[in-house]
Amino acid sequence: MRSLSYVRAKTVREATEAFAAAGEGARYIAGGTTLYDLMKLGVERPAHLIDIASLEGAGRIDTGGDVLFFGAGALMADVAEDEVVRRDYPVLAESLSKAASQQLRNMATVGGNILQRTRCPYFRSGAIGAYPCNKREPGSGCAAIGGLDRGQAVLGISDACTAVSPGDWPVALTAMDATIEIQGPAGPRSVPIAEFYRLPGETPHLEFSIEAGEIVTGISVPKTEAGRNSTYLKVRDRESYAFALASAAVALTMDGDRVRQAHIALGGVATRPWRAHEAEALLNGQTINREMALAAGRAAFADASAGEHNAFKIELGARTLADAIMTAGRKTQ
Amino acid sequence: MTQERTADRPRIDAYEKVLGRALYAADQPITGLLHAMTVPATIAKGRIEAFDLTAAQNVPGVIRVFTHEDFSQIKTTPAARGAYGRPDKGYQPMTGPVVRHRGEPVALVVAETLEAAIEGAEATKVRYAEEAFSARMEDDLASPESEPERQLSSGDAEAAFASANHRIDVEYLHPQQHHNPIELISTTAAFEDGELRIYEGTQAASAFAGGLAGMMGMDPTRLRGVSPYTGGGFGQKNGIQEQSVLVASAAILLRRPVKLVMPRGQLFHTASYRPRSRHRVRLGADGQGRLLAGLYETVQQNSRYDGFSCDHGANPPRMYGYGAWLGSDRIVRVDTQTPGHQRAPHEHPSSYATECAVDELAEALGMDPVEFRLANDTQSDPITGKPFSSRHLADCLRRGAELFDWNRRMREPGALVAENGDLIGFGVACGSYKGSMTAAVTRLRLFASGRCEIATSGHEMGQGIRSVIAAELIEVLGVDPAKLEIRIGDTGYAPQHITAGSWGTGSAAPAARNAAVKLREELSLLTGSALSEEPVHVQLARTRRPVLEVTVDTIPLGKDAQVIEQLRRGIPSTTGPEYPDFMSFSWIAHFAEIHVETSTGRVRVKRVVSVADCGRVMNRRTAESQVRGGVVWGIGAALREAGETDRRFGGVLNNDLAEYVVPVNADIGAIDVDFIDQPDFKLNMSGVKGLGEVAMVGATAAVVNAVYNATGRRVRHLPIRIEDLL
Repeated sequence: MRSLSYVRAKTVREATEAFAAAGEGARYIAGGTTLYDLMKLGVERPAHLIDIASLEGAGRIDTGGDVLFFGAGALMADVAEDEVVRRDYPVLAESLSKAASQQLRNMATVGGNILQRTRCPYFRSGAIGAYPCNKREPGSGCAAIGGLDRGQAVLGISDACTAVSPGDWPVALTAMDATIEIQGPAGPRSVPIAEFYRLPGETPHLEFSIEAGEIVTGISVPKTEAGRNSTYLKVRDRESYAFALASAAVALTMDGDRVRQAHIALGGVATRPWRAHEAEALLNGQTINREMALAAGRAAFADASAGEHNAFKIELGARTLADAIMTAGRKTQ
Repeated sequence: MTQERTADRPRIDAYEKVLGRALYAADQPITGLLHAMTVPATIAKGRIEAFDLTAAQNVPGVIRVFTHEDFSQIKTTPAARGAYGRPDKGYQPMTGPVVRHRGEPVALVVAETLEAAIEGAEATKVRYAEEAFSARMEDDLASPESEPERQLSSGDAEAAFASANHRIDVEYLHPQQHHNPIELISTTAAFEDGELRIYEGTQAASAFAGGLAGMMGMDPTRLRGVSPYTGGGFGQKNGIQEQSVLVASAAILLRRPVKLVMPRGQLFHTASYRPRSRHRVRLGADGQGRLLAGLYETVQQNSRYDGFSCDHGANPPRMYGYGAWLGSDRIVRVDTQTPGHQRAPHEHPSSYATECAVDELAEALGMDPVEFRLANDTQSDPITGKPFSSRHLADCLRRGAELFDWNRRMREPGALVAENGDLIGFGVACGSYKGSMTAAVTRLRLFASGRCEIATSGHEMGQGIRSVIAAELIEVLGVDPAKLEIRIGDTGYAPQHITAGSWGTGSAAPAARNAAVKLREELSLLTGSALSEEPVHVQLARTRRPVLEVTVDTIPLGKDAQVIEQLRRGIPSTTGPEYPDFMSFSWIAHFAEIHVETSTGRVRVKRVVSVADCGRVMNRRTAESQVRGGVVWGIGAALREAGETDRRFGGVLNNDLAEYVVPVNADIGAIDVDFIDQPDFKLNMSGVKGLGEVAMVGATAAVVNAVYNATGRRVRHLPIRIEDLL
C-alpha cells in the first residue's frame, strides 16, 4: 500500500522546515477539499502531508484596521458569515457563499481556495485513462482544444491550455486589489493578486507565483468605500453546487451619480481571475444605465476567442457583467 | 378491515433507514473479506496484447491479479450482460483478450485491503492493439441496423397526413443519460451454509442468481442471491453487471469471500445508461383540431452486441385518438457498453418528443394545448381497437388545470412577465406507462403472539414496496406493523421477480392480499365459523395453534401456472399492456410554470402540478414521493442532464456527480401531486396500476413546452441550457 507521512505543524517555521526535510512529494494540506479530490483522481500523489490547518493564528479574521485581513486558515464559511464583510464588502461574502456547498465551505480555507486547481474535465480525467493535458503532463498536449470545450476559457487562453481558473473568491479578491501574504524559508513576502496568477502561455502547469515550500499565510484587502457598492454574480448550469459558466465581481466608487472608479473582475471565462480594465475604463466618469453596463460588458470581452462550443460565454459573460454592474449601481442610490 | 384505503402511513422501514440500520449489499459484515478492484480499459476498442502484472503483484496485500486467462470458463449466456435474454447477444468482459468499449474491465485485482486493491489496479500494465471505433451514432463507424425493431400502424397514415389541414414535421434529440443511483453498484460473494451467497443491490435477485449460476456452470440451487435493499435502482440494477460473475468466480477460485464496489467514474462506462435517440414526429389535424395522423420514426444508439430493444414507438399512439398511425424504431450500433432501461426507459424520451410535437400542433391550430388534448381523448387503443382497462387522463388534465390555475396562461409567448422582468411560461404534457404485472410466490405466517412474517417476491429500492405489502396485510388482517417481518429480495426466502417496469406494486400488492385472504379462509376453517372483528391472531390463539402458514402462487392476468416455474428459474415474464379484453396503462398530466431570466437565459422551474391515474393509491405518502421524484428527473432531463462523450476517446467526460449535472434542491420549486385514485379491478384484485415510471413520463415535455410559452423558442434538443436561450 502506498504509504503517506503526515505531520501537523504548529508554526510556519515548523511547517516550512518539515516541508524541506520531507523533500520530493511534500504537500501542505489545510481543509483538504482540493487535495484529497485530486489525490483520488490521481492528479496528486503526495508522499508527505504537512498539515497547516492549525498554525497559530491561521484562522484570524481582522476587519478592524486599515485593511481587511484574512488568515489563510480562516474557513470559507466563517469569512462568508462575517458581519463586517457581509455589510461592507458583499462582493467578498457573496463570492464565498456562492461557492461549493455548505459542507465544503465548513472545511475549506480561504487560503487553500486561492490555490484551487482547474475543473477542466480533461485535466481531471483518470478513471478510465488520462487524456492529454499540458497541466497534468507537460508536453502531452491539450485534449480540450478541439474537444468538448463548452466549459473552457475565452480569455487568456494559449495553444497549450484553455482551462478555466475555477474560483469565485479569487475573482472577488482580484476586483478588490487584494495582496497575498506568503512565507517561506527565505522569509515573508507580499504579492499583489494581479501578479499571483499566471497566464498559461507555454507553461500551463505553472499556475501560481509561489515557490515550492512557501505557504500562503494571509490575504489583505485594502478598505474602500467601493465595498458597499459591490456584488458578485455567478451564472452556472444549476442554481447551486456548480462552478461558474460566467461570473462577475463589481465594486463601484462614486462621485455623485457618476462612477469615479470601477473595480471589475471576471470568473468562469478566463484562464486566471480576470481583471477587466477595459470595462473599468469605460465606466469611469459615467452614469450607470443598462446600455452603458452592456457596453462595459462587451468591452471586457473584446479580445475573447472561442472554440467550438463555448462562444456563448462571450455573450453570457458580457451580460453577466452588465447585470452585476446594474446591481452594484443600485446599491449606490 | 378498518384502515383507510389510501392511508398516509409512514414508510415501514423509515426509522431503520434514517438511523442507518438498514444494511445494504456492500455493508454486510463478512469475516475474512477480500477486496477487489477492476482495471478499466484505457482504449475504446481493440485487443489485449500483453499484461505486465509484476508491479501489481508486488503491491503488499495483493493476493492475486486475474485476467481473461483466468476466466475463459465463464459462459456467455442469454443472462449475460447486454443479452436481454437473446441467445446471440450479450458479452462478458474478461473472457477473452478483447476490448469492446472504454472502461471495460480487463483485469481484476484482489487484495487484503481496498487500498491495496486500488494500488494494484493502478499498477497493472496492459499493452493494447487499438482499433478504429465510433462511440456516437453520428460518427463514421456507427452501424445502423437495416431493419426496424418495431413498426406499429393503423390506417393509411401517410395519406391522412398529406391531406391534413394542419401539419407539423419536427425532429427532437434526446441525449445519453446516466442513472447515478447514490448506492454504487457492488458485488459481494461469500460462502455460507455450503452455498455461494451473492450480495448485490440488484432489482432481480432470482434472475441474477440463476443467470450467474448458468454462466459459471453451477447448480442454481447452490447459489443464493440477496438484495437486502437497493439504494436507488432506476433500471441500472436490473441485470447482471460487468463485474458480478468476475467477483463470484474470483471468490470460488480463491475460496474466500470477495467484495467489489465499482467506483462512480467507472460506472459511467460499465453500467447501463439511457442511450441517445432521435425522434422525427409528423402530426396532422383537421380544421376542427381532430388528430388525423401521426407518423413517428425513432433511432436509438445501441452497443455492437446488445439485445436492448428500441421501444419508443410503443406508447405514443395510445395517447390520443389518432385517425391513423405509422411508427418505426431503429437502432444504430456503436462501440460503447450496453445501454439499458432507465426510469421510464422509452416512454420518457418518446413522450418528450411527441408531447412537445402535440404542443407545436396545438399552437399551429391556435388551440389551447389542454383543450386540444381533451378534444382528442379516446377510450380505446387506436392500434388494437381494444378498450383501456381504465383511462382517466381527461380527469387528470381537468383537475391539474384547475389546481394549476391554467386559465392564467397567455397564448402569446412572452406575454406573461414577472415583477422582476422574467418571462413566465406555462406548459402542459401527458404521459402513460403500461400496466404490467408479474408472478409472485408468497409464504405468510401468522403467530398467535401477533407476530406476522411474509416472504414474497419483490425488491425494496426506495419506492416503498415493503410499505405496500404492509398496507395489504394491515388492511386484510389488521396486523400490527411493529410485529410484521417482510422478507423480500432474497432467493433464500422466495423466488424473486425482476422489480422494474412499474409492476412492483401491481404484483406485490395482489400477492400480499391473496395470501392474507387465504389465511383468513384457513383460519375460518380452523375456527369453524366466520371470523369476528377481533384481531386475527387472537382468534388463532383460541384454536391453540401457535402458528398458521399459507403459501400462495399469484399468477397475473392472462398467464398460467408456467410463470411460477419461470419465476423459480429466474426467467422474467411480465404481462401487459395488452390483455385479452383490454389494454392497460397508467396515465398522468403534468403542468409546469417556468421563469426565464431575460439577460442570461437562466430557466427556473417555479412549480409543477402533476395528477396521476395509477388505479388505487396504496399509500399516499410513498405515492406522492414517487411522483415528486419522477418530476425532479423530468426537470433534470429538460434542463440539466447529459452524458458527454468525446468522440476521439469514446469515454464519458463528465463521469462524476459534480460534472454530470443533476438538479439540486435550489433547482426545484413546488411540486404538487394529486391522484384520481379510482381502482382498476380489471387488472388485479388490489386495483392498482403502476406509478413509479409514469410519474416521470411527460414531465420533461411540460417544462420544454413552458419554455416555449415564455420565450417563443422551440428548442428541440435536451437539455435546454443557457446558450440555447441567450
